[in-house]
Amino acid sequence: MLNELLLTFAQWLGAQQWSVGLHESFYMYNWIETTHVLTLTVFLGMLFVIDLRMLGLAFTNVPASKIAERLDLPMMIGFAVMIVTGLLLFYAIPVRTTQSVWFRLKVILLVAAGINAWIFRNRMKKAKPTWDLDAVPPKNVRVGAGLSLSLWIVIIFAGRAIAYDWFDCGQDQSAFINWAAGCVAGASE
Amino acid sequence: MDVMSFFTWLEGSMLGHIAKSYGGVYAAAQTVHLASMALLGGTVLVTDLRLLNVALRDVPSNVVADGAHKWFKVALAIILLSGIFMVAGVAMKAYYNDFYWAKMAALATGILFVFAVKRPLLKKDHSRIPGWLLKLVAIASITVWFTVAACGRWIGFS
Repeated sequence: MLNELLLTFAQWLGAQQWSVGLHESFYMYNWIETTHVLTLTVFLGMLFVIDLRMLGLAFTNVPASKIAERLDLPMMIGFAVMIVTGLLLFYAIPVRTTQSVWFRLKVILLVAAGINAWIFRNRMKKAKPTWDLDAVPPKNVRVGAGLSLSLWIVIIFAGRAIAYDWFDCGQDQSAFINWAAGCVAGASE
Repeated sequence: MDVMSFFTWLEGSMLGHIAKSYGGVYAAAQTVHLASMALLGGTVLVTDLRLLNVALRDVPSNVVADGAHKWFKVALAIILLSGIFMVAGVAMKAYYNDFYWAKMAALATGILFVFAVKRPLLKKDHSRIPGWLLKLVAIASITVWFTVAACGRWIGFS
């Protein structure tokens, strides 16, 4: 039921003139994708630097909170650009993307990374006075940073894998994959 | 061995065979390449934004540049290794791709710039370096690494 609804929405979106135009525009689509990928250096670049500090592997002579707080703004600017360009990429190819197992995995992992970041941020704020100057932060902080790094690397993989047709609907594949991709019988592209 | 023979050999090598035959392994290498690109970009931006007085203004720029350079080297090494694996799978395609060569030229410029200009300069006490020079180095650095990444992305489009 939910998959039918999502597909109907995607089909409606994909029939929009702007969606077709975006998909068929060589330069516009490719520059949006390029911006999405290049902004990894701003968003994930800052995040990796923060995570490495929280793991006690980089900038150990700088207070952890200073690294996290000062790099927060450029990181969030990068995140905003990634969200906007990501939505535009979805808007350009909504039907296939909606039925991509990798896109679905990416969305789930993005939510998980968001929850982890929220927990991590709160934990950092509470514990700031106790370990801020330590070269190597406490174990729970390091676990959060390690989890963040791992989640984002898997998110990059999922994002990259969307381009591959490995588990596209309509192929001869297991029922589980069809279920995970949300394939709707007779509606595959 | 000329350049074309080398690319022909690379595509036919064991590395080329693995990169061509196993889509999952290739995608994993692309992921490693992208993640290390993010790290490299992060270290470059942290340093350059500090030199431009945009970020981390209350941390001495010498401290930022030294801390970032260690991880820049790690990211660069991983990028080069994963990049060699990736090009092995599509060596002939890359050989005839203008953006591939543009990227290689930009990458060589970037590496040369970092190890021959930027790093030797930033190793010195920054308070003794004119502010305009630090800013110029930061802008040049952002420009060259942006060119490397953008050309890299466009290899796939052309």
